[in-house]
Amino acid sequence: RYTFSDTGVGKSSIVCRFVQDHFDHNISPTIGASFMTKTVPCGNELHKFLIWDTAGQERFHSLAPMYYRGSAAAVIVYDITKQDSFHTLKKWVKELKEHGPENIVMAIAGNKCDLSDIREVPLKDAKEYAESIGAIVVETSAKNAINIEELFQGISRRIPPLDPHENGNNGAIKLGKASTPSSRRCC
Amino acid sequence: MSAWTMGARGVDKRGSFFKLIDTIASEIGELKQEMVRTDVSLENGLEPAETHSMVRHKDDGYPEEKDVKTYARDSGYDSLSNRLSILDRLLHTHPIWLQLSLSEEEAANVLQSQPPGIFLVHKSTKMQKKVLSLCVPCEFGTPLKEFAIMESTYTFSLEGSGISFADLFRLIAFYCISRDVLPFTLKLPYAISAAKTEAQLEELAQLGLNFWSSPADNHPPNPPPLHRPLSCAGVCPASLRQLCLINGVHSIKTRTPSELECSQTNGALCFINPLFLKVHSQDLSGGLKRPSTRTPNANGTERPRSPPPRPPPPAINSPHTSPGLSGTETQTSMPETVNHNKHGNVAVPGTKPTPIPPPRLKKQASFLEAEGSAKTLTGGRPSPGGEREPRAGGGAGGAPPGQAAAAAAGCTRAPPAGSESRPPGHGGRQRLSDMSISTSSSDSLEFDRSMPLFGYEGDTNSSLEDYEGESDQETVAPPIKSKKKRNSSFVLPKLVKSQLQKMSGVFSSFMTPEKRMVRRIAELSRDKCTYFGCLVQDYVSFLQENKDCHVSSTDLLQTIRQFMTQVKNYLSQSSELDPPIESLIPEDQIDVVLEKAMHKCILKPLKGHVEAMLKDFHVADGSWKQLKENLQLVRQRNPQELGVFAPTPDIVDVEKIKVKFMTMQKMYSPEKKVMLLLRVCKLIYTVMENNSGRMYGADDFLPVLTYVIAQCDMLELDTEIEYMMELLDPSLLHGEGGYYLTSAYGALSLIKNFQEEQAARLLSSETRDTLRQWHKRRTTNRSIPSVDDFQNYLRVAFQEVNSGCTGKTLLVRPYVTTEDVCQLCAEKFKVGDPEEYSLFLFVDETWQQLAEDTYPQKIKAELHSRPQPHIFHFVYKRIKNDPYGIVFQNEEEDLTPS
Repeated sequence: RYTFSDTGVGKSSIVCRFVQDHFDHNISPTIGASFMTKTVPCGNELHKFLIWDTAGQERFHSLAPMYYRGSAAAVIVYDITKQDSFHTLKKWVKELKEHGPENIVMAIAGNKCDLSDIREVPLKDAKEYAESIGAIVVETSAKNAINIEELFQGISRRIPPLDPHENGNNGAIKLGKASTPSSRRCC
Repeated sequence: MSAWTMGARGVDKRGSFFKLIDTIASEIGELKQEMVRTDVSLENGLEPAETHSMVRHKDDGYPEEKDVKTYARDSGYDSLSNRLSILDRLLHTHPIWLQLSLSEEEAANVLQSQPPGIFLVHKSTKMQKKVLSLCVPCEFGTPLKEFAIMESTYTFSLEGSGISFADLFRLIAFYCISRDVLPFTLKLPYAISAAKTEAQLEELAQLGLNFWSSPADNHPPNPPPLHRPLSCAGVCPASLRQLCLINGVHSIKTRTPSELECSQTNGALCFINPLFLKVHSQDLSGGLKRPSTRTPNANGTERPRSPPPRPPPPAINSPHTSPGLSGTETQTSMPETVNHNKHGNVAVPGTKPTPIPPPRLKKQASFLEAEGSAKTLTGGRPSPGGEREPRAGGGAGGAPPGQAAAAAAGCTRAPPAGSESRPPGHGGRQRLSDMSISTSSSDSLEFDRSMPLFGYEGDTNSSLEDYEGESDQETVAPPIKSKKKRNSSFVLPKLVKSQLQKMSGVFSSFMTPEKRMVRRIAELSRDKCTYFGCLVQDYVSFLQENKDCHVSSTDLLQTIRQFMTQVKNYLSQSSELDPPIESLIPEDQIDVVLEKAMHKCILKPLKGHVEAMLKDFHVADGSWKQLKENLQLVRQRNPQELGVFAPTPDIVDVEKIKVKFMTMQKMYSPEKKVMLLLRVCKLIYTVMENNSGRMYGADDFLPVLTYVIAQCDMLELDTEIEYMMELLDPSLLHGEGGYYLTSAYGALSLIKNFQEEQAARLLSSETRDTLRQWHKRRTTNRSIPSVDDFQNYLRVAFQEVNSGCTGKTLLVRPYVTTEDVCQLCAEKFKVGDPEEYSLFLFVDETWQQLAEDTYPQKIKAELHSRPQPHIFHFVYKRIKNDPYGIVFQNEEEDLTPS
């Protein structure tokens, strides 16, 4: 399971894009976009992402721990056109470091890279910050489907290969659980 | 769930299913035409048996009583009591052939001296699968061939075969009759196939693995010579009975060849069709007969298996034919077998294009199932069985209760009873009437259909109702299904009616083993003669009678959850489940099934009590009032104030949602409750999206959910959510159910803390702590408890300075004092000077001697309920000379107050 935390705009779109691209039978339908699943092959294994979306508004902040509990990974999304969202992202990272599961894989996604002409957050800043916290960083565009697959592939590779209770029934299927509390500070 | 069934079978197979079903339909048509013929043949078939026994009777001039008995048994009424089906034999003797713990080598050792056809089922460590090991003749090069058993979500099948079965017993039973992918059919050990009563089988089963090396497993001396039946009839009473049987079989066997042919051309639907079981049995006996030993059961097999209709076969015809034929057949021993097989081989390639076998199979399977379940009920445990069936009939949506009951009763009990008194001809008639009975209960189709369609995407209440009535319906289901089968085979138009119906029929056969298992466990849980039953009953009544043994609602739910997990674990390891669950349920489904069973036997009786307790707790700690007040406040706000920026449900939708929530309250199973919660959420999404095609994430959904929950104005939701969060199977907490449960919990906390939030714009840190603790608890719960975690068990290690440690699990009830435990230990560990010893608790690297008046079980419970898991041991050791640490005389005071 994975946690997906995002401030800034576009976390839901990223998930939707990720889940809905390649219409194939790997998608098991869910009742809504807050919780989605997708199975992705990674090496010899199949990782099943259970993506938990987290309400990002401040008022729901206190609920976040329920969403990132037990997550294997967290995706924190910021908007490259809004410096503010990058600050909020740092708060999330801090929170996850302090209260989140140990060994959680963190991925930072700078969304809206299609709008790089009005960019406020330089890619360099994001890269440096990500490096300092040992996170994956990728600039994405949910709109144009850029780097979405890469983002999740990256996470897939980082998920430790063996996790007893996530091991599917038959050795081949590994359920890398993905909860994606994407917490987003709303508009 | 049923939706999954389809998925499980594979999308691509769907088409072929329809095809199969059509095939069945058309075959049934053909068979129907043949029916007349069949009946006649049946009559022929049985006649000889009777004749023989009579003849023998005269010839022997045997002591009346015995002979009468024999006579009664065999006379036309099929000696039903004698004729154990293969399935019965397999069920009773699984401790012999089902050896899951055996390694390849051990299995090979066991089978090494066995004749071809003898088999074992064990678990291969190499393949991590169950494996059928079969003795083969030396021509094969190896003495043993292994066939992997594949398990899908609902079925068992042999690797390479297109035929799958509801459980292992049916699979083996089938392969005793038909070789399919095997080189030849399976063969039961002589002693098993020759046993005539369940008691005999039980006796054999007692031997377990030792059976194979015991004298009981004497191989059939030699294929009984043709004449033996007649000639040695007088020899001894025991053999006499057996002989009669053999005779009966022979006579039936007469028909075999023709039946075989029939099956070739027709696709051998006779297997499935209950009406033709007689035909079938002949076919069977043919197949089985080959290994001459098996003869008796071959016959027996089919007879009881065909549930109600199967009274005595009418004996009308030609005594001549059969004896003659049977004679020939009798001599048939191994060599002939081969011939038969060749026949089979020829046939198989022809039939092979798979579609045909599966339906046959399926039908047969479900059919067997019906019989099996009937058997379980009546035969299994004496008490609940009898009353159950009739009740089942009563509830059978649409089936006239009386008839259902009659049909059910007919399954096992009625025939033997009636057989004694009625003349042969009567049987035929009775059968007819049975058939008409089953025909009339066509309404049950409706019910069946609704099951497979259940799933939350079908947002209807109808399936819910199934669920509500679930407890009772579960009992009902199997009989109905079997009836339906009978039914469909008879009433052609109905069968052809809609493919969907047929589909559901096929699938329903997959549904039942699970239900059967759940029901069996539930029955077991009411049986205080079993350890499991005791455990459950004691726990349930303990909880009901001791209201104040829990400090909080979480404490209460948590102990229940823990108890369920422990009992589940116990069940999966214990031998109290007979037959073992692995033989009925595919491995990846075992936990799911056990979980359901736990809900049924623990949560169902406790539901009312738990609800009342939860409410009491909430009232007592003020959270009820807090929620009530805040709920009113939130209700007065408009959606925007709650952060809602999406369309919200109108009054009508809110009413609909309320109805769902109210239905939820009636469920005892946390899973079903969650299912309903998901439906509510689905409905909310539908309203939000309002055909706009926009996808809403959590930012929009959570506020709407909060708004909706407030609008519903149901204080009980708080306890509902708590119930689900604490009791839901931990493995489901990460899925969709877990997500929306979390969201609902979040929404409720938002409401509860609305005032504070207004003031501080923040939830109390307290809530956050609660959430964190909850998570910790639920994740620690995952570690599987071992037997000594059980309520009434205490694992005590015995430490001697010289000899090290030995451990024993002792039965220690909650209010047994340390003093008593010490006494017990002194006994168990054979300590000569008990005053030198005492019970210690080793926890957190320290030793604490327990005071005499403390309760070790309470201490254990307290340790278990700590948020951090502690490693601890109870150790019985010398008070002095403690090489490990210091004795803290009074520490236990800190531990007990829980």
